[in-house]
Amino acid sequence: MSRRLRTALDFFAVFSLPALWWGGIVLGSLGVMASMSFWTQEFPTFRPDFQFGNYEELLTNNQYVVVIARSVRIALMSCLFSFLIGFPLVYFIVFKVESRAVKLLLYMGMLIPLWVSYVLRSYTWKTILGTEGVLNSALLWLGIVDEPVMFFLYNQYAMVITIGYICMPLMMLPIYSSLDKIPRSLIEASRDLGANSFHTFLNVTLRLAIPGIIAGWTLAFCLAVGDFVSPILVGGPSANMIANVVLTQYGMALNWPLGAAITVVLLVIFVILLSASNQAERVGKVNIE
Amino acid sequence: MSRNTKLKQLAAACALGAATSLAAVQANAGELSLLTWVSYADESFTADWQEATGCELKPTLVGSNDEIIAKIAAGDRYDLVSPSVDTTTILWKLGKIAPIDTGKLEHFQNLYENLQNNPGITLEDGTVIAQPNAWGSIPMMYRTDKVDEELDSIAVIFDEKYAGRISLWDDKSNIYPVARYLFGTDVNVFDLSDEQLAEVQQKLIEQKKLLRTYWSQAGDHINLAANGEIWISNTWGGYQVAELQAKGIPMVEYLPKELADGWMDGWQITTDAQDMECVYQWLNFAASPEGQCGMSLFSGFSAASPLVESCMSEEEFTGRHQHQPEYIDSLVLWREPARPAKMIEVWNAVKAAE
Repeated sequence: MSRRLRTALDFFAVFSLPALWWGGIVLGSLGVMASMSFWTQEFPTFRPDFQFGNYEELLTNNQYVVVIARSVRIALMSCLFSFLIGFPLVYFIVFKVESRAVKLLLYMGMLIPLWVSYVLRSYTWKTILGTEGVLNSALLWLGIVDEPVMFFLYNQYAMVITIGYICMPLMMLPIYSSLDKIPRSLIEASRDLGANSFHTFLNVTLRLAIPGIIAGWTLAFCLAVGDFVSPILVGGPSANMIANVVLTQYGMALNWPLGAAITVVLLVIFVILLSASNQAERVGKVNIE
Repeated sequence: MSRNTKLKQLAAACALGAATSLAAVQANAGELSLLTWVSYADESFTADWQEATGCELKPTLVGSNDEIIAKIAAGDRYDLVSPSVDTTTILWKLGKIAPIDTGKLEHFQNLYENLQNNPGITLEDGTVIAQPNAWGSIPMMYRTDKVDEELDSIAVIFDEKYAGRISLWDDKSNIYPVARYLFGTDVNVFDLSDEQLAEVQQKLIEQKKLLRTYWSQAGDHINLAANGEIWISNTWGGYQVAELQAKGIPMVEYLPKELADGWMDGWQITTDAQDMECVYQWLNFAASPEGQCGMSLFSGFSAASPLVESCMSEEEFTGRHQHQPEYIDSLVLWREPARPAKMIEVWNAVKAAE
């Protein structure tokens, strides 16, 4: 067998399966979904068609606009929550912990929640925030309140905490790797040149961490905005997010065309967001070699 | 090897592959896949039957009728489904349900006559599309240790006094009692005008600020009430309150003066059903006194057969209104809404609102 043929065969052997997967399964099904978004619903089924009614419905019916706005708002607040807690924690692990063993332990601790089922991680918050939950029991026991506090659970704050908690590892991992790559010599140099620790943090550490921060926010946002478990478990009556609406359209509403149109809109938002974040990451990147 | 033969071989291989995978998804003989509620095929009363007939039950559990439609419409294959009578006709119109050959049914004639004649069971032309299995009401329930007045109306869900202590089922059927509350008990809740639906929608959206959360599964509902999250809610007659009382929670049921909804479920054979021998054996067991007793005693729901008298105490029998089948007529029995998609849209709009 000639060398060239063998190379070609090797190439084919390695890449044909991923190509089939990517082209057939991923792009193929996206194509089917996109074309279905132009179909017409005729309850309880739908017929192939080419019309823009589903998109018109999305833009004109207030309920979808409200839900999309709510999803983006909750996702951003959840990202902020996990950033405000995650960033200092990662900073501490990278810069303040000296022992390698402790560092590894804390790093693993950061990842452990990923080993636990997604639904279980959401459900746990119900037992913490509930009327007879851990938090209320503690407050009652300490005498801080006389009656259980109702507003911990079944509202949008509970969702922000729950989703923020779920997103935290995804927020922390990229930040960890970008902070960890910062040469200590740069920080020392900044100090030697007279910058105080605040200025050093702002102009050296934070500046160099920007790509990691952007990557963290992007990953966390994508997970958060598509969440449909927390709205059901801890969100209360006004919690529906966009994924719940998609689920309903494919489920009980039997309006797959509308569900497909929502998904296409969501996909477009994601693509815009990802390219913006990609752009921002490139701009924010500083060559430290 | 010529190109042509190669192609032929390839095609043959593909056909063989398709055939084997098709065979793999088709249920084995003697196996019945059921799409059903938690209490309709429980091992506790079906194990002996399975042993005796060699028909093995493979139940998949659902939490709502809409879920049944969604799964069947998506092309999932089951031999039998057990939706409520507002859904049986929708599945029939989807073309997914096979007519039942009543000549092969041993107990159909023994079931309550008004259930047999329900439009979701027997169509106008006499075609039987489902075999009645169980029925009940959608009453209200409340905790007597927290609520110190006697409730008798649906109006309580709009009472500011109970803000944050109320829960409602996550189901489009909430539209019905609210429509009766707004427009009187004579209104046909299954065929509301656009204006009436808009008013109901507005009322349900205003009500949200008093709501703790929606419930969807009976188990979650029981936990919500047991954990002190909710005091007042609609419920599935018989089931949740019995479970809560067993836990020592003083929860009672009442039928609001604006009337309560009623439901009835029936077994339907899908067009995918393979092993008709087992299918009819199952239908005959489910409607037999033994099957009906097992189901009703397990779930607390009313049986479709009066013959359950043989296995029930008088209290169990009358508590389920088995002695007065006309009781179901005092409920507003679910039937297929004139515009189901519109109903679902209204309910989704309520849930989407801030």
